[in-house]
Amino acid sequence: MNAPATERFVVPIGPQHPALKEPGHFEFTVEGETVVDATVRLGYAHRGIEKGAEGRNWTQTLYLIERICGICSHIHSTAYAVGVEQLAEVEVPARAQAIREIICELERVHSHLLWLGVAAHDAGFDTLFMYTWRDRETVMDILETMSGNRVHYSANVLGGVKFDLTDESAVAILKGVEFLEERTHHYRKVVSEDAFFLQRTRGVGTMTHAEALALGVVGPTARASGVARDVRLDAPYVAYADFPARIQLLTAGDLEARFLARLDELLDSFRLIRVLVAGLPAGELTAKRMPRKLKPGEVISRVEAPRGELFYYIRSTGGEQPDRVKVRTPTLCNMGSVITQTIGHNLADVPMILVGIDPCFSCNDRAVTVRRAGDDNGRAWAWADLRRYGIDYYRRIRN
Amino acid sequence: MTRDLINLLFFPAGLGLIAAGLLYQWVDRKLLARFQNRLGPRWFQPFADALKLLGKEEIHPAGSSAFLFAALPVLALAGALTAALYVPLFGLAPVFSFPGDLIVTLYLMSLLTLCIGLAGAQTRDRFSLAGALRVFTQMFAYEAPFILALLSPAVALMLAGQPSSWQIGELVLSAAGQPWFLLTLPITFVVALVGLMGKLELPPFDAPEAETEIVAGALTEYSGRGLALFSLARAVELVVGLTLVTALYLGGIGAGPLAAVLFTAKTIGLLLIVVVLQTLLARLRIDQTVNLWWRLGSVLVLAQWLLLLIFRVLR
Repeated sequence: MNAPATERFVVPIGPQHPALKEPGHFEFTVEGETVVDATVRLGYAHRGIEKGAEGRNWTQTLYLIERICGICSHIHSTAYAVGVEQLAEVEVPARAQAIREIICELERVHSHLLWLGVAAHDAGFDTLFMYTWRDRETVMDILETMSGNRVHYSANVLGGVKFDLTDESAVAILKGVEFLEERTHHYRKVVSEDAFFLQRTRGVGTMTHAEALALGVVGPTARASGVARDVRLDAPYVAYADFPARIQLLTAGDLEARFLARLDELLDSFRLIRVLVAGLPAGELTAKRMPRKLKPGEVISRVEAPRGELFYYIRSTGGEQPDRVKVRTPTLCNMGSVITQTIGHNLADVPMILVGIDPCFSCNDRAVTVRRAGDDNGRAWAWADLRRYGIDYYRRIRN
Repeated sequence: MTRDLINLLFFPAGLGLIAAGLLYQWVDRKLLARFQNRLGPRWFQPFADALKLLGKEEIHPAGSSAFLFAALPVLALAGALTAALYVPLFGLAPVFSFPGDLIVTLYLMSLLTLCIGLAGAQTRDRFSLAGALRVFTQMFAYEAPFILALLSPAVALMLAGQPSSWQIGELVLSAAGQPWFLLTLPITFVVALVGLMGKLELPPFDAPEAETEIVAGALTEYSGRGLALFSLARAVELVVGLTLVTALYLGGIGAGPLAAVLFTAKTIGLLLIVVVLQTLLARLRIDQTVNLWWRLGSVLVLAQWLLLLIFRVLR
């Protein structure tokens, strides 16, 4: 009570907090309502998937990889499949590639609509939240019509796709896309014209072009700051060379631009989906033969997830199992921008700035060992050591 | 004596008022849900919530005064219930009345906000502290324009040379003989209604309890009975506030049972407007709330009073 007015105190957000849909820990030092310092700690949802991949064969790993993310499941399996096919030197038929691209874009639509709702909720605009999620059901239904599943479509197999685009699903796609396009135009209008909402987004969390380059941000977050970075164009994968996306660039770099960048991307996805459905190449759905064992080698596979560049490193030593699968998700690249942008802003803006990068924690979390120079005892943990450590640890805390 | 007791305990004040408050709260929640494309709760949900909370264990956080922690919710509910005695609930004459009760009622209505703020400020939880800070900041923002807006009809009557009073009972009777103040004082009507939304911390003025920023704000540490009492106090305050605005701006109170029905319908009508505003508007940051009230709210009220004075001088 007698504390000086300038006293700083730390507001912890997370690991459990209503603003976070997944666990992460942030500490914001505030003076009054202004943030003066911020730190982040990630890694609460580490699931050991990379290690798990090493114990499964190439095909089994595909299904494990698809479960990294519950929102962009297809893009993970696409990144992995494209990499493995490159290692195996397998040619995937054009029709399969195009179907992969359709699902990639449908997934982007579903992800961006979901994000729009979450962001609106964080801004205290629950009406927009409810309506976007209602409309998102349309694209979920389309995906269910195509694949039989709403979340893990399981569209990819190594060397192709599992199902064809039937006439029935083509009709459903075109109908759904038409409805969603109309709604997206409406949401774009709301986001760019609603005076109360603009107070929360315009000029908030501005990241200049130079800052965006320095922080190495990716995806719509980067494109909202005018950084022309889109893997679909820079290094086309699946069918993006034949059916190219158009880059959506904005220069303002604030939260409003991040909203508009994603909404513009939605509109481009609708265009692209129509082009794809109309011009779907004929042909097989899978490659003739996919080897069970892969030649030794390593490959880097990059794709554009809804949140930005998704990076896979895959290494084979010639066996039935991958020797190493390394995943780097776009959230990790963008997280640094949250820390720098929140400083100087109102505490009330923090959830908005955080959600502005569309964070996805559990996809992003990896186990990291930090070794300080000097006290490195050179000990490497083998699998058996880790296992023993885990058993001892739980035995200890139980007693 | 018996009549007084019935009035105090059952109807229109007391239990009847609490029941009405919970029903109004349900109307608010249900309509908001329907506007947002949701199903919304069934009619007894607020009653079930209140009963459940009342029966639950209350966890008293370490580091705060146990007495204040228990007393503040009681005081808040008592304040709201007392304020209800001086307003014409459901279009019936106020239970009690004395000269100047308009001012007292306005202060009793602020007791809830004050208690919520103190409840947050006296716990050591950071979200509660941040919430309490916002509660008080918001109170200083809307309180002055809100009070001035509710005093405006009395002032207008006075300036017009009509019988006027600071006593709600008399004021609403003379208001019944006038054209609705909604038509003659439209600006202060809007300020009063929006001020009520600020007082009840409804969107877009829900920054003090913005869950995505500060969890439940000042009431984060409250559970069980304390939380139930605070939510009952809010429900009562909703009815009291709507009643006051209706009585002052929508033609006072008439006579006969039909007048009571009409009056209640008017309060529900006002509630509908409040719900529509909640649906349409996104949450304001606390600094934006302050800006809105001081740059716009107060200026509007003063402009209305200036207009009144000009009319008076010209006449």
